[in-house]
Amino acid sequence: MTKVIIIGGGWAGCSAALTAKKAGADVLLIEKTDMLLGLGNVGGIMRNNGRFTAAEESIHLGASELFKITDSTSRHINIDFPGHKHASLYDVTKIEPKVRKLIKEKNIDFMTQTRVVDVKKINNKIKSIVLSDDKTIKGDIFIETTGSTGPMGNCLKYGNGCAMCILRCPSFGPRVSISQRAGIEDLLGQRQDGAYGAFSGSCKLNKDSLSKEIREKLNSDGVVIIKLPKEDINLDKLNMKVCQQYALKEFAENIVLLDTGHAKLMTPFYPLDKLRKIKGLENARFEDPYAGSKGNSVRYLSMAPRNNSMKVEGIDNLLCAGEKSGLFVGHTEAIVTGALAGHNSVRLSLGMPLLELPRNLASGDIIAYANEQIKSKTGLKKRYTFAGSLYFERMKENNLYTIETEIIKRKIKRLDLYNIYNEKII
Amino acid sequence: MKKRLQCVDAGSEYCPCYLAETNDCITCSILQGKDFCDCNWRGTCIYQEYVWNGNKRKESRDYLKCKIESTTQISNNSFILKIKVTKTLARLLKEPGSYVFLRGINLPQHFDMPMSVLDADDIKGYIKIAYQILGPKTKRLNMSQNEVMVKGPYWNGLLGVKNIKVTKNSNCLLIARGIAQAPISLLAKKLLKRNNKITFILDEGNLKSNFIEKELKNYDIKIIKKDLMKEENNKFIKKQLLNNNYQLISIGGSDLLQSYIIKIIDDFKLNADIVVTNNNEICCGEGVCGACTTYLEDGTPVKTCKTQLEARKTIERRIHID
Repeated sequence: MTKVIIIGGGWAGCSAALTAKKAGADVLLIEKTDMLLGLGNVGGIMRNNGRFTAAEESIHLGASELFKITDSTSRHINIDFPGHKHASLYDVTKIEPKVRKLIKEKNIDFMTQTRVVDVKKINNKIKSIVLSDDKTIKGDIFIETTGSTGPMGNCLKYGNGCAMCILRCPSFGPRVSISQRAGIEDLLGQRQDGAYGAFSGSCKLNKDSLSKEIREKLNSDGVVIIKLPKEDINLDKLNMKVCQQYALKEFAENIVLLDTGHAKLMTPFYPLDKLRKIKGLENARFEDPYAGSKGNSVRYLSMAPRNNSMKVEGIDNLLCAGEKSGLFVGHTEAIVTGALAGHNSVRLSLGMPLLELPRNLASGDIIAYANEQIKSKTGLKKRYTFAGSLYFERMKENNLYTIETEIIKRKIKRLDLYNIYNEKII
Repeated sequence: MKKRLQCVDAGSEYCPCYLAETNDCITCSILQGKDFCDCNWRGTCIYQEYVWNGNKRKESRDYLKCKIESTTQISNNSFILKIKVTKTLARLLKEPGSYVFLRGINLPQHFDMPMSVLDADDIKGYIKIAYQILGPKTKRLNMSQNEVMVKGPYWNGLLGVKNIKVTKNSNCLLIARGIAQAPISLLAKKLLKRNNKITFILDEGNLKSNFIEKELKNYDIKIIKKDLMKEENNKFIKKQLLNNNYQLISIGGSDLLQSYIIKIIDDFKLNADIVVTNNNEICCGEGVCGACTTYLEDGTPVKTCKTQLEARKTIERRIHID
């Protein structure tokens, strides 16, 4: 049986594990922290704008499990906030145990607090991975979903220092770029000013630390918008963000809070003293990152060159997904790319042609488009998400955006890709 | 690709050091002049410590003038010194693998000699050192004086220390020959605290003294005395290794002894973790002078006064050269 080893247990890694398992592989998922989902433990925004289309595409392609969980764990569905329509907000305090249960139920082996630090290669083929305790594990196909965030030195050199985010590098060890260890140089995202990396786009406040009015409005509506005093408006901050879909003027002129179990504050960081001057936030404290006053994690410092089937160029048996595979933003993007990488891992082991999603699906188009763009300097300064900014514009222009699930289903049936991720290949 | 190495000082109050300032840090890729992180250090980021410290190193270790409380002769050319030190220094020297630099009062710095700590008492504030008179430095450790210069703490006297921390409720085998008995004492005490059972094969070697016996007399350790280099004992050692399911095997002695025991471990495919004494000639202790440099099989130079290596890696090349 084909042994597929997935390195990194975030949304992309979990998604890849599920499709690889369904295609018939023996799957091992390895995660360095004590929780699956990585940054998914502090995110929560689904189905906003084009992400709705992409989620439905994945569901009809056969990768429905994770969307079922995010939908059923949503605190709010079909809400609007500036620039965004029909969003769902899943509860970040409830999601991880559900995904973990699913992974267990599907009989997927997984290891937490286990960190991969190196590979052993013969020619262009990875034979085994090396763990931080020097143990090695052999595999046939490897999928890297280690993301592109941190570790501490990078967050300091390209950001404001470790802000103590959910990845907890000092405790669980640094992220290691597996593709780079295998000899393939990383690609790096840039900001508008050419500096490397970008800040994670939001921080979270402890909901109990907010005023009763804000708390109640968050619980009932999912969104609270508070106008900022003029002297506090900082438009420059928008350029530092990962999430260009939230880099709108409204997000600089207002405090936008979303209810994801925590109160998600749609800005990379915010000095606590300033924040506490705002009515209703007088007692606010940060939930993630813990040092949200001064900074946030820095991302996009480690992408692998890949083809549109998610295979890493230059290594025969390595695939990638999520942020590792391009300048993608978001859980939906991670799940979409992860599902494809997982499915293709089994095809790759059998010598079958790898699946490429057609470009008349948003999922196929974003994977191909991000890959084209990454080759140019301006493209390295952009981010690619179904949720907004330039890619959502492109979706609308190319008629890829729809919230009619029947239309999406019909299209996928017409393309003969209906439920393809549910097919057992071996 | 560059080997990622582990500095024993990383995360201590002496990190970052001079090597960070000169872009020669053993562990941090950014402090080696690279653009991005590529370390394997789990703990507070060395680069972060460096920047927080105003882009400079932390204060280095300093010399202390210390009183020699007693000198005990243990063979015709070897002695145990009991040296009064601060309680803080004694506490920092309780870890297995601890060493200090000693030199006679009035001697220049090139007489600094690295000495394994035999015992450290952080309540009374003293350390004990065992030494054998061999070269110019030990010859000049003037015993008629009652004071000595001490610089420390240093920690890389044993290689494979991470294995010590994870060994508990297991069988351990300690092997030591000659003056390499000295570092056994701290190691044995640490292992006993973690509920391990210890067998200790002791060989007086050329030292002609089993001074460690007295140090360990109050501890529950099974001591077996054998001449490790005698052909006739080969069978006994093999039997010991094969029949006792040791989780950890520590080897104190020459490279030759280390490779002899490691070969048995490998031949029998034993799954034991290995700790060895660091036999390199240590001179400055700060990774600067290069005297202690050893080379890995691929030619990577490694400064062993501070770098933790896996036992097999450190001897694989040295043995061929020697």
